[in-house]
Amino acid sequence: MSLLDFLRSAFFNLGRRKLRSSLTILAVVIGASLVSLLLSLGIGVEGFLTAQIRAMMPPNVVMVAYSEQVFEIGFTGPMFGGKPEEISEDEGGSRFDLKPLTAQNREDIEALEHVERTDPYILLTADSVRLQGAEAKFRTALSSLPAYQAEMRQLVAGRHITDQSLGECIIANGYLESFGFQQPQDALGQKLVIQVKQAKGIFGLPSEIKDFNFEIVGVAEKTVNSTEIMISIEDGKEIARFWADSPNMYSDELPPSILQAKVDGSQYAAQVAQEIEDLGLGAMTSDDVLGVIGTIFGIIQAVLSAFGLIALGVASLGVINTLIMAIYERTREIGVMKAVGASKSTIRLLFTVEGASIGFLGGIIGVAIAYALGSAINWVSHITFLKDFETFKISVFPWWLIVGVIALSTIIALLAALYPAHRASNLDPIEALRYE
Amino acid sequence: MIELHNVWRLYRMGRETINALASINLEISEGEFVSIVGPSGSGKSTLLNIIGGLDSPTTGRIEVDGQDLSKASDKELSSYRNKKVGVVFQTFNLQSTHSALENVSLPLVFARVPLRKRNQIAEEVMKTVGLSGRLKHTPSQLSGGERQRVAIARALVNNPKILLADEPTGNLDSKTSEQIMGLLTSLNKERGITLVLVTHDLKTAEHADRMIQMFDGQIAGAADRK
Repeated sequence: MSLLDFLRSAFFNLGRRKLRSSLTILAVVIGASLVSLLLSLGIGVEGFLTAQIRAMMPPNVVMVAYSEQVFEIGFTGPMFGGKPEEISEDEGGSRFDLKPLTAQNREDIEALEHVERTDPYILLTADSVRLQGAEAKFRTALSSLPAYQAEMRQLVAGRHITDQSLGECIIANGYLESFGFQQPQDALGQKLVIQVKQAKGIFGLPSEIKDFNFEIVGVAEKTVNSTEIMISIEDGKEIARFWADSPNMYSDELPPSILQAKVDGSQYAAQVAQEIEDLGLGAMTSDDVLGVIGTIFGIIQAVLSAFGLIALGVASLGVINTLIMAIYERTREIGVMKAVGASKSTIRLLFTVEGASIGFLGGIIGVAIAYALGSAINWVSHITFLKDFETFKISVFPWWLIVGVIALSTIIALLAALYPAHRASNLDPIEALRYE
Repeated sequence: MIELHNVWRLYRMGRETINALASINLEISEGEFVSIVGPSGSGKSTLLNIIGGLDSPTTGRIEVDGQDLSKASDKELSSYRNKKVGVVFQTFNLQSTHSALENVSLPLVFARVPLRKRNQIAEEVMKTVGLSGRLKHTPSQLSGGERQRVAIARALVNNPKILLADEPTGNLDSKTSEQIMGLLTSLNKERGITLVLVTHDLKTAEHADRMIQMFDGQIAGAADRK
């Protein structure tokens, strides 16, 4: 029997019991669409986050701190109900307990091969931003960036800030609407007031509030950072000193706790990070962050697709049931086939192909439905919460996902068909011909 | 052509062992028409099934056209059933959901003949059994005689040397039975097909060259009618 005949026979027989076949296929469809939709969402979101992180943390930058712990994203400790962890002597109780790097540290790092320059990593907190002369205040996230990093942001208007910039800023695209500019060009040259309240105010201590003035020189393309305002490192230092009420911050007396080292090629980032760790410091590259994200998403996707796999597993019981029923109905037919020359292996293959066809059809329909649902989710998200990210898709279907899910459901159904097929092939032809 | 040497076929039924066939020695030569008669339970169908490769002897040897069936594997046996013998049953055993043409071409499917060629051969064979106008009919749309003709066409489609018929007229009226027997006899006489016919009807058995009488799993007698 040729492959074409096996397929012809399988589809003919499925068509004979349309309702039963459809219900069995439906079960596979549910499993296959669950698996593929959940995976496609995971792929889409991960891709989006990866792209955003790539934009925020360039691949040619190595972050440096006194200890590796600063960069650890941990899920240990009392959070999961375990017993309190013992802390070693040189370890702080808080994971984000920063200790300044020394001027010597910085010199050592700058002396490493492939390291071009180092800049302090400045964490900034600003209370609000408003247009000069306007009342409305808006939330803001300040980024103090060296010019080479600021240049990685795509602009829709104006120019980038330089390392020498003072009182100049680039605003996120989202502010255009907040400030009421029709065109990105309208924002250029406008003055902003960034209001900063000293950090000690958090503890109810007397604190000052100060306004910092900036001129808008550029407007960035849309990103997830819809409240980002980019300023130079020098401006960042000034704001940080006021915020922390510490005029010596970022000087040799009180060096930064986190440095960002620029490497003369992203291919050297891992090597430089290793060399920095050999100096007894902590280092992190964007690949490390992406690796963590990849791991987290891997786990999330595995858990999510497990639901789909369970559904496929349940569907495989339906396949077994359908085929066993079919054997009862077609016992005589099997007898006739054997009488006119079908071997055991032919009968076995006949039922295996029939089962696999259920999986194949279910897989195709399932992926098609998931694709349609994914497109619908993309469409809805673009007119609602993802309005500003035209190119981003929550649901992404790479070719390997489509092929993989169809293959998976076919293989699961094929495996389910093995037992019924074995049973059919072992029918005694004489008994089968007598079967009523 | 067909040789059986000391063939036994035992069945176990609960605690009892039944000798469906006991020490059968039989030779049928090429082109011969042999009928096997006997009361029900005499073992004639079992004998036919063993010759047809649907059943295997418990002990003893059966050789057909030089091939030892008692030692054949499932693959060899199925190929034997496909190409060397054709079987016609009392109950026709047609596939009700398939057309007459599809029923006839079924053995060609297992012989890996491509679809177009299959239909061509099956149509040809249906013509020889007088059914050229019934290709697309399903078994339920055909009369008993026509159904048996479809079954005969199916048995003939791979051009076998041997045709086995198990009570082929058992479900037919006497007039149709005569026609079917006429068809089978002509296949034997004109095309030289070796024909083995099982029946309990002596009148039907008389068409044969040789009549073998069975009783309790043994050959009780033979009558040469030539």
